[in-house]
Amino acid sequence: MTVEVSKVYLLDVATGEGVEAELRDAIEQAQIDDWAKHWIPVVLAAIQDLVARQVPRADWPQSLHWNWPKKITRVQGMLAFPGFSVVAQGVTQGLAQLDLTRGCQEPGQKGKPLVYVEYLEVAPWNRSELGATPRLRGVGTVLLTAAIALSYEEGFKGRIGLHSLPQADAFYRRIGMTDLGPDPACQNLRYFEMTVEQARAFFEKEEGR
Amino acid sequence: MKFERSKEWWMARARREGDAVIGAGLLAFDPIPEERPASAPTAVVEETRIAFGRFVNLMRRRRGFSMERLAQVADLDASELLVIEDDLHYVPEPRTVFKLAETFEVSQQRLMQLAGLAAANDAGFRQEAVRFAARSEAVHKLTPEESSALEAFVAVLSEQEPKRVK
Repeated sequence: MTVEVSKVYLLDVATGEGVEAELRDAIEQAQIDDWAKHWIPVVLAAIQDLVARQVPRADWPQSLHWNWPKKITRVQGMLAFPGFSVVAQGVTQGLAQLDLTRGCQEPGQKGKPLVYVEYLEVAPWNRSELGATPRLRGVGTVLLTAAIALSYEEGFKGRIGLHSLPQADAFYRRIGMTDLGPDPACQNLRYFEMTVEQARAFFEKEEGR
Repeated sequence: MKFERSKEWWMARARREGDAVIGAGLLAFDPIPEERPASAPTAVVEETRIAFGRFVNLMRRRRGFSMERLAQVADLDASELLVIEDDLHYVPEPRTVFKLAETFEVSQQRLMQLAGLAAANDAGFRQEAVRFAARSEAVHKLTPEESSALEAFVAVLSEQEPKRVK
């Protein structure tokens, strides 16, 4: 499998400068290694900080309630699925895994094929929820943009769907996705879908304001 | 798949993202509560499980170990130690319990019972576990009362196992 690499740009929060990054249309062993070697220790340190500050468990960011052994197995299994990764400054900054076999749920496009974002996660040092100032901004947007671009390439006209993490709900609404409410089949995560029109608007908003 | 846009195009979108935390899918969420087996643990199991978490916490602190240090010494995963001490519903791996028993030099069988991996057949042990859990407070500094509660409980854990594997 050859990996296609596209040049993208992220925002370095500290300097306000653009940082060149690679959008790769696969998750490879290097990404799994980065995840295990670089992402996990940062999350662990954040958890230990929460414990030290005696922050009640209920107030932790939701993504910290991980079942680690299961997660490790699942992430290792990602090599076999279509996915994207963002690499900058020599390390993996974000990962997404996609499923091309599902159908739409939004009434206007029910049953039509879409790109379902099975998993999307940004490196912990780029997330504001863990307390520190994020390092790079735009990683999540690049991965989402890639999912929509893939949807076009597959002939799905930009349609994508995903189950949002609670802290990400507002973002998906802001970029114009339709909120189809909590999904009891998915631990009540809210299901969002992007329609053909919404995808077009997403790409057309050239300056994005 | 290739996808090329100008630097400005990407920068505008990165700025628009702001401090939003973007994530999707159960694997990114993956909360432990729903991962539990369907059969809820009984109250008895929970009581001893509380004692197990407290026990690991106090033994670790008595030795002045950080979680990372204990993980290193016992050859365990620091993240699992964390949920053991913090999440009463987490059922540890048998290997983890064996390693902890070895490190703390207490009976493996007893610690297995405490962790909820094996049933204790005597009510006395359960009572001891509950008494210990009630006397100890997991988040504060080790008090003299906790120390003595811990000492007494270590004695219970050590004495009652006839053939201890070293």
